[in-house]
Amino acid sequence: MAGIVKPQSGFVITPHKVSICILLQVYAPSGQLSVPFPFASISQHNRLGLFLIALTKSCDDILEPTLDEFLKLLKEFGGLLDNWLSDHVTGRLSSLSSPDDLFTFFSELRGILAGPETSIIDDDQINLDPNSNLGMYLRRCLLAFNILSFEGMCHLLTNIKTYCKEGFSPYEMSHLDDASNDPEAPLEYENMDLENIVLQNFTEELESRKRSTERVPFHNHSSKALFSLVEDITVSPGHKVKHNHRSQTQTHSPSVESSDVILQRTNWQIQGYLSEQADMIEKLGSSFPMSAFEYVLKLLQKVTPELHRVHFLRYLNSLYHDDYPAALENLHRYFDYSAGMEGSDFVPPLSFMNNGRYEIALLSLGMAHFHFGHPELALKVLTEAVRVCQMHSDDTCLAYTLTAICNLLSEVGISNITGIMGASDSHVSTSLSVQQQLFVLLRRSLKRADSLKLKRLVASNQLALAKFDLKHVQRPLLSFGPKASVQFRTSPTNVCKNLRLSSQLIHQFDNESSTVTVDGALSTSWLKNQEKPTTALVFPQESGSESNCDMFYSWLQSSSVPGSVLQLVGSSYLVRVTSWELYGSAFLARSNALLFATCFADSSSSADLALAYGKLIQHVAVYKGYQEAFVAHRIAEAKFLSVSKSGILTVKLQLLHERALHRGHLKLAQQTCDELGVLASSVAGVDMELKTEASLRRARTLLAANQFSQAASVAHSLFCKCYKFNMHVENATVLLFLAEIHKRSGNGVLGIPYVLASLSFCESFNLDLLRAAATLTLAELWLLLGPRHAKRALNLIHSAFPIILGQGGLELQSRAHIAEAKCYLSDSSISVSEDPDIVLDSLRQACEGLEALEYHEMAAEAYYLMAIVLNKSGQMEQRENAAARFKQHITALENPIKPKDPLVNLL
Amino acid sequence: MGVSKETCRNELRTAIRHLTDRCLFAASKWAAEQLVGIEQDPAKYPPSHTRLQRDCSSIRRRFRSTDEITATPVAGTSYVSTPVPEEESEDVDSDFYLLAKMYFNCREYRRAAHVLSDQTGMKALFLRCYALYLAGEKRKEEETIELEGPLGKSDAVNSELVSIERDLAAVRKNGSIDPFGLYLYGLVLKAKGNENLARTVLVESVNTYPWNWSAWLELQSLCTTIDTLNSLKLNNHWMKDFFLACTYHELRMHNESLAKYDYLQATFGCSNYIKAQIAKAQYSLREFELVEAIFEELLRIDPYRIDDMDMYSNVLYAKECFSGLSYLAHQVFMTDKYRPESCCIIGNYYSLKGLHEKSVMYFRRALKLDKKYLSAWTLMGHEYVEMKNTPAAVDAYRRAVDINPCDYRAWYGLGQAYEMMGMPYYALHYFKKSVFLQPGDSRLWIAMAHCYETDQLRMLEEAIKCYRRAANCNDREAIALHKLAKLHSELGQSQEAAFYYKKDLERMEDEEREGPNMVEALMFLAKYCRAQKRFEEAEVYCTRLLDYNGPEKETAKSLLQDIKLAQSGFP
Repeated sequence: MAGIVKPQSGFVITPHKVSICILLQVYAPSGQLSVPFPFASISQHNRLGLFLIALTKSCDDILEPTLDEFLKLLKEFGGLLDNWLSDHVTGRLSSLSSPDDLFTFFSELRGILAGPETSIIDDDQINLDPNSNLGMYLRRCLLAFNILSFEGMCHLLTNIKTYCKEGFSPYEMSHLDDASNDPEAPLEYENMDLENIVLQNFTEELESRKRSTERVPFHNHSSKALFSLVEDITVSPGHKVKHNHRSQTQTHSPSVESSDVILQRTNWQIQGYLSEQADMIEKLGSSFPMSAFEYVLKLLQKVTPELHRVHFLRYLNSLYHDDYPAALENLHRYFDYSAGMEGSDFVPPLSFMNNGRYEIALLSLGMAHFHFGHPELALKVLTEAVRVCQMHSDDTCLAYTLTAICNLLSEVGISNITGIMGASDSHVSTSLSVQQQLFVLLRRSLKRADSLKLKRLVASNQLALAKFDLKHVQRPLLSFGPKASVQFRTSPTNVCKNLRLSSQLIHQFDNESSTVTVDGALSTSWLKNQEKPTTALVFPQESGSESNCDMFYSWLQSSSVPGSVLQLVGSSYLVRVTSWELYGSAFLARSNALLFATCFADSSSSADLALAYGKLIQHVAVYKGYQEAFVAHRIAEAKFLSVSKSGILTVKLQLLHERALHRGHLKLAQQTCDELGVLASSVAGVDMELKTEASLRRARTLLAANQFSQAASVAHSLFCKCYKFNMHVENATVLLFLAEIHKRSGNGVLGIPYVLASLSFCESFNLDLLRAAATLTLAELWLLLGPRHAKRALNLIHSAFPIILGQGGLELQSRAHIAEAKCYLSDSSISVSEDPDIVLDSLRQACEGLEALEYHEMAAEAYYLMAIVLNKSGQMEQRENAAARFKQHITALENPIKPKDPLVNLL
Repeated sequence: MGVSKETCRNELRTAIRHLTDRCLFAASKWAAEQLVGIEQDPAKYPPSHTRLQRDCSSIRRRFRSTDEITATPVAGTSYVSTPVPEEESEDVDSDFYLLAKMYFNCREYRRAAHVLSDQTGMKALFLRCYALYLAGEKRKEEETIELEGPLGKSDAVNSELVSIERDLAAVRKNGSIDPFGLYLYGLVLKAKGNENLARTVLVESVNTYPWNWSAWLELQSLCTTIDTLNSLKLNNHWMKDFFLACTYHELRMHNESLAKYDYLQATFGCSNYIKAQIAKAQYSLREFELVEAIFEELLRIDPYRIDDMDMYSNVLYAKECFSGLSYLAHQVFMTDKYRPESCCIIGNYYSLKGLHEKSVMYFRRALKLDKKYLSAWTLMGHEYVEMKNTPAAVDAYRRAVDINPCDYRAWYGLGQAYEMMGMPYYALHYFKKSVFLQPGDSRLWIAMAHCYETDQLRMLEEAIKCYRRAANCNDREAIALHKLAKLHSELGQSQEAAFYYKKDLERMEDEEREGPNMVEALMFLAKYCRAQKRFEEAEVYCTRLLDYNGPEKETAKSLLQDIKLAQSGFP
């Protein structure tokens, strides 16, 4: 901060550095032969050199290893020599007992540096080139020692003493460490007991789940195909999470080192660790163990009070655990300290601005409000962010803010924003509707992002545009008079184009300037990688080292595309899924969902993943029946840490509701429907989609109970709501449903206008599958009006057949078959008794599908029709068969058996 | 009073002996101050005895003539008489103990501890541990300076804590620990972050030996909420009243605190400590006149006092009393320039002079001497705001808030800084915090209302709510009423506007203020009454307007004619 002088964290000599120097002396004793004393071979010697280089690289430490840890590290690297080396180090350290010893030690060290004049390198002698890595390090140490005051020297001496003592007597160490290790610690954690219990349960749950899924790591997003080589790395975050709260649950053990924060020492590594954890939090959402991580963060904060990023992590942590006050508090604290100058990826490194970048604070605050479901507050904050960005001409932040506003507008149901945005925002003229404003905003922010070359932002804007195009009719923004041609369609080509463009990102990514964070993460995982196969790396048998290198490089390659990019690209696939679903290609939707689940599962958030799994499960339900869907669901469930908070729960409720409706368990249907309604009104903002779905399902339940007028009134209010929030796609469905109500109530004439309206909606939105369904309903309605219209109905059905049979689900197909059969039966020009097979074929197919769905009512109808046809054609035996099945379904419908499904009990 | 003055006096005298014997100097100093603070019967003693006590209740006479009721003590408090512990072997202190005490007095702590290393007995153990503790503290402070600047990271810890804790925990376990040992144990536990146990131990200590003020202070610093305070099981002793008064003040329950001090003054009528504490509480209630009077008296009795003088300088600053502040600064500078308070006072002086760079320099010096010195951080923030260096100001304020999250001034400063940067909505968060902590301060409400009122937000309804709160508090500058009237008229709510204009007018009449606000109020009221067809009233306002020059006069004239016309038109 301007004004406050930050402590110069210069290169200070520490006991750890002294021990490195001792090793350096061993490595390059002055004036020795090529293979100095303790080493058996040149390769051994070189390996020590490698080890030393690795150590010197991490010299800008926040925390340094204790002697114990250092010796352990040395042991892993040292192989046969380790005993000699560690004895040497400890012996040498303990021999330093007075300031003068230190003095002589460092002047000896000076001797191993080759002077500048000895440029001719004598092959037989080992001299440390002063300009090499190790040489530089040594010189820095020497310099640091030379400028030490006498007090400093005394300090070093006492530090070395404690360093040695800690290494030898564990009792002392546990006492000298901070409060968490003292014997009174349990008292201090008294009030955390509850949390511990929760955590313990969590661990147990985790473990049991792990066992049940047979060695599937609990957060198994790693697709074997891509990352099989680096499995232990990709899985390690999960393990780490566990480790951390293990160390928490067992507060007695002074094993701070088991939580591996402490094993990471350098600034970079801590930064990397933090950003990794940030990713984890964002990915896992609320299932991330909160208090354990909070504990780690507090520890970190104690050690490094000037590392403000810790506050940001605390903010993230509380954000994702819906702790509103804590989140707000930490957010403000972070930005008060850092002034927005630290940590965010897109800060240009050379921006010298005295007045801070507080607009980023506003942006983050706005997003936090958005997360907590306060869209109006969020909009206010973001508007202020826009203003401050303009004031400080911070274009980058402005672009991000605009995108955030777009997201907010598109995802949250706001029917009217004029009151909120006010006239102060010059970007949006308030006379336009929300949708039009959103569109304008989207276009502008895309342009802005493009001109600023913010590739990720461009991609996400394109994605947002695609989403917009998917669901909204494009009207000319300003229509003057009758001349303006009103084109009333969505444009799938635009959607497709935008989607393609946004996934281009992954190819362009190479030269994005976010190497900073990647570096940090890299050094973290390199260190982690080091722990296990270390011996192989430094004192290896030849083959061992190679495989290790491979692993390292493949990790590098896989990480050259940062997680945020992968996430974006992944979500573009999710949008594809939705778009294909809407446009009526179930199979393309499924394949895209599969693609997402295999390739991007690792980098995407758990919410996205749940969405993808949900789509797949529903696909199974619609095309294969519930039995298989529930199996799939169980598999998916095992992959999520906490089912209750993820989207998987919604899917389960949907499945249960559908099945209950089909089986005729109206009570159960009502119950599940209510549960869904509860989910829709969650704390984190109202999910409009879920809300409309819940009320549509309610209407369907009412319809199934033959409460026509109530169902119709629910549907009507839903229609009004959708209209208010401009959700036209949903309206097509609602209209079709209204027609359905009239059909069920036997009032065909009234139903027809609704179907026609729905059809026209489908047409303008390119909803092909829904259109086929609407056509089918239209046919059914015509059929209701009397046998005179059978021909027309049949024609309609046949026109819709290609799509229905190609893409439609079991229910739709069966309905189409039955309707077709009915047409034939009521058509007087066709004698069924002569050619029963045209009817029987389709009826048989219908029966098959309906039995898989356990749809008793329609199955009964189908069997009834079948029996009639068989009766007419005189196939008595089969008729009896069909009649028996009919009876079976009717009884099942009338006396619903209490479902004995374990899933129900979970509710 | 449940305890006679004489009892208190005797108890304190013994306590001073005990405390000095154990080198607990701060506590014995405090006790001695209170001892002298007990009002003497002037008939019994020659004037030299009461030299330090003269005029001791003049302030009370000046300011408290009206509300004698509050002075009546809380009735029915029955005190537990805590037996004064007999010293183990009063005059047979071992020679080693004497030697150790002398070393201790000469600040050779380690030497003192070493001398006592073989001594048994609780007294020796205490002094040994205490000496070690102080040695560790001293070393810690030196290390902090050696290692880094005092503003940055300091991982220096008192390295003696572990061994002291081990020893004292052992003694406590076998039950032979004395209250002083408990106090030290509590101190160590608090330093190690084990607050719950520290609280228990300190309560034990003060219950067995209530006269150790240092123990009470440690306990007070551990009571951050009223619930914690209420959960303490403390014996009733008159020292508890001191403790409660002090803790109430820290918990911002100023009136409760004042009541306690008033009650205590019945016994300790001449205690400078109590006077300073009352000044502190009154300062929080913004009774600057009274505070100034108290401090003047304090300085007269005790001219070399530095404690709490920074607050006096704040008062002088607020009253823009240049000469007084410079005199004070000079005096403390001559007394002890290396006290954080002194630096702070000098900083205040420069700030008043408008020399903000110099002022920052002195605040920084104060912080160097004590980096947890709350008000210096806040004041430094103010200076940075003056210097338009908002990020630095934000940083300084934030540090203050992190030291004590109840410092409403720093929250207010943060809000102000953000408002200056054109982020009024973001600033609101901070204003809300500060208003929450100090809901009776009209300035905070006005600042918040102003934030709502900015061009960027224009949330006038909320602004009105804030101004209303401000008007209900003691709004000295009378900004709120005027603003309320203006906002209401802006929103077209003329009835409310008229109400507030009238109130504002009355207030201005009371305080005999004139100015544009007056004209504005009269103008509005005249027009309003005219529109409401209350012609007589309108006429009154118009005629008053005629006293002013400017365009309003003409408008008033035409209005008057208008009214005449209307009156004749509709009789």
